[in-house]
Amino acid sequence: MKNIDEVLSGVDWEQGLVSPEIHFDEDVYRAESDKVFNKAWLVVGHEDMVPKINDYVTNYMGDVPVVVTRDGRGDVHVLVNRCSHRGNQVCLFDRGNAKGFTCSYHGWSFGLDGQLNGVPMEQALYHGKLDKSALGLETVPKVANFHGLLFASFDPDAPSLESWLGEDVSWWLKNFVLAAPLGGLEMLPGWHRYRSPGNWKLVSENFIGDDYHVFSATHISWLAVMQEFVSKGMDAPMATYPANAQSVYEGAIGGAENAPFGMGMVTVGSDDLFQRDLSEAKTLGTDAVEWIHHRKQRLDEISKDLEGAPYSFMNGGLFPNLGLMGFFSPMIGRQFLMFHPRGAIEHEVWQWNMVEREAPQVVKDLAIQRAHQGQHMAGIVAPDDVENFERMVEAGKPTRNWERPFHYGLQMGQEDEGPAGLHGTMGPNPSEFNQRRFYRFWLQMMERK
Amino acid sequence: MPAHDLSTRWQLKQEIEDFLFREAHILDEHRLHDWLDLFTEDAEYILPLREYVEGKVEPAGHPIIKDDKDMLRIRVAKDDTGYSHVEIPVSMTCHLISNVVVDASSDPDEVIALSAFTVRQARKLRDEAWWAGRREDVLRRVDGEWKIARRLVHLDNTVLPRGIAIFF
Ligand code: FES
Ligand SMILES: [Fe+2]
Repeated sequence: MKNIDEVLSGVDWEQGLVSPEIHFDEDVYRAESDKVFNKAWLVVGHEDMVPKINDYVTNYMGDVPVVVTRDGRGDVHVLVNRCSHRGNQVCLFDRGNAKGFTCSYHGWSFGLDGQLNGVPMEQALYHGKLDKSALGLETVPKVANFHGLLFASFDPDAPSLESWLGEDVSWWLKNFVLAAPLGGLEMLPGWHRYRSPGNWKLVSENFIGDDYHVFSATHISWLAVMQEFVSKGMDAPMATYPANAQSVYEGAIGGAENAPFGMGMVTVGSDDLFQRDLSEAKTLGTDAVEWIHHRKQRLDEISKDLEGAPYSFMNGGLFPNLGLMGFFSPMIGRQFLMFHPRGAIEHEVWQWNMVEREAPQVVKDLAIQRAHQGQHMAGIVAPDDVENFERMVEAGKPTRNWERPFHYGLQMGQEDEGPAGLHGTMGPNPSEFNQRRFYRFWLQMMERK
Repeated sequence: MPAHDLSTRWQLKQEIEDFLFREAHILDEHRLHDWLDLFTEDAEYILPLREYVEGKVEPAGHPIIKDDKDMLRIRVAKDDTGYSHVEIPVSMTCHLISNVVVDASSDPDEVIALSAFTVRQARKLRDEAWWAGRREDVLRRVDGEWKIARRLVHLDNTVLPRGIAIFF
């Protein structure tokens, strides 16, 4: 048996060669929950999931069940969903509104701030000796709100979220993903969840940088039907590709001291997609046309000190386990996906969707519809990804098959051959640069003593 | 719509059951274009996931499928490309349809048919998924033939066991 250090020596990110062992081995999985998931800042949802006092929503941090709450004072907490008495789960529902949680085993009750408020027959049975103040639910020590996106970390010594993200990642997240200068995003409520074979890293690195699979093999059935149906003038789900493939880049942002953030098919220096959105807006009425012009203007303003104004992006990923879909267009909902580990060879995708808040209703209706037809568990994109992971697991389980590394050699040496003067590095698309950066950062965290 | 006469209603129920059972065979035989023909041009096909909201099982926000006939056509066309990996090799499915109840609707040409289903999906060597739930169909008589005008699928899942690329 190899020890963890030997396994880690098989992660040669510089050469783009990564040992499959880190995607299959149970010991690596256990070490990783401590070194990565107990240390990193993790996305736990969006503030709009708990808009009112006493709202709560459940989620996971790694494989730890948590509840995100808004207490009576309006403060947001992230609580470990586990009773301090004997470890029973106290919150049983996906979301709701309640003053607190009462454990179904012995009836201890907790407030939304985690405080232990009630213990049945406390005086008669504990004789005044129970220190309730020390027996609240475990509250996750670090919680931060980034323009609505909620992050939490189990590590009390974690760097501030600001420095975890760093300036460049913050710029893209705030302006592009969360569309803060455009009026922000509007929540479409509801967890949409599915199980999938494959280690969580396989899907995370796919979102952070694998644009190769999109048109080379995995999603060609989608691209083919899009072309066919769009050419018939139908409201087919999602966009066609930008006509000018020269103007899409892979954005490699953060990633040394900060969490790596990757964006696939960022469009810079081309008007194609704006023109396409505009022509679609014309079919939807003057409100839509005005709004498309307005947001283009705002986008140009926020980029005015940069050397090019990015317009849209296809996909993205933030280390460790957040995936994003932008689909090139605000006429399509924006998707947020969390990849929760479920053992070494399985994960669960928890997904929610949003649309731009200032969009006219007619655009929102279309965007909502399309968001569910694409990178979604019953859409015509995601199930093909899941299929590949299923096949990778079948071929990857035998330990002898771990000897031959996975190959991430795309665009080696060409990483920065995109436009300069934007936040982060723009490189050619597709590329496997972001995957190499993902494993570099993962290795750094795993090697930290 | 037939009268409240018992034998006519019995006959109608048999007719609808026969329609739904034949549809199940069409799906299990992968005759997806024939299946599309069972839908009216203005058909809707809706499938919400579920969530536990304060103890109640509720639809989880927007349905994960909310198709019109064009979108159903797109799904079938996707498989026709020959590159729809999630159906290569094709899934073996067995749709078991039962608990059929037929009620009149306000439209004399339409009935409301409730049914329950269990679907086993098997793929490749060992991959399988079991799906179960209920359907609420609005069936319309068009030129003497029954067609599905609206199908609402209540799938009993809060977390899907795999992606959906088959039909219920
Ligand atoms: S385990 Fe919760 S009250 Fe005993
Ligand atoms: Fe994909």
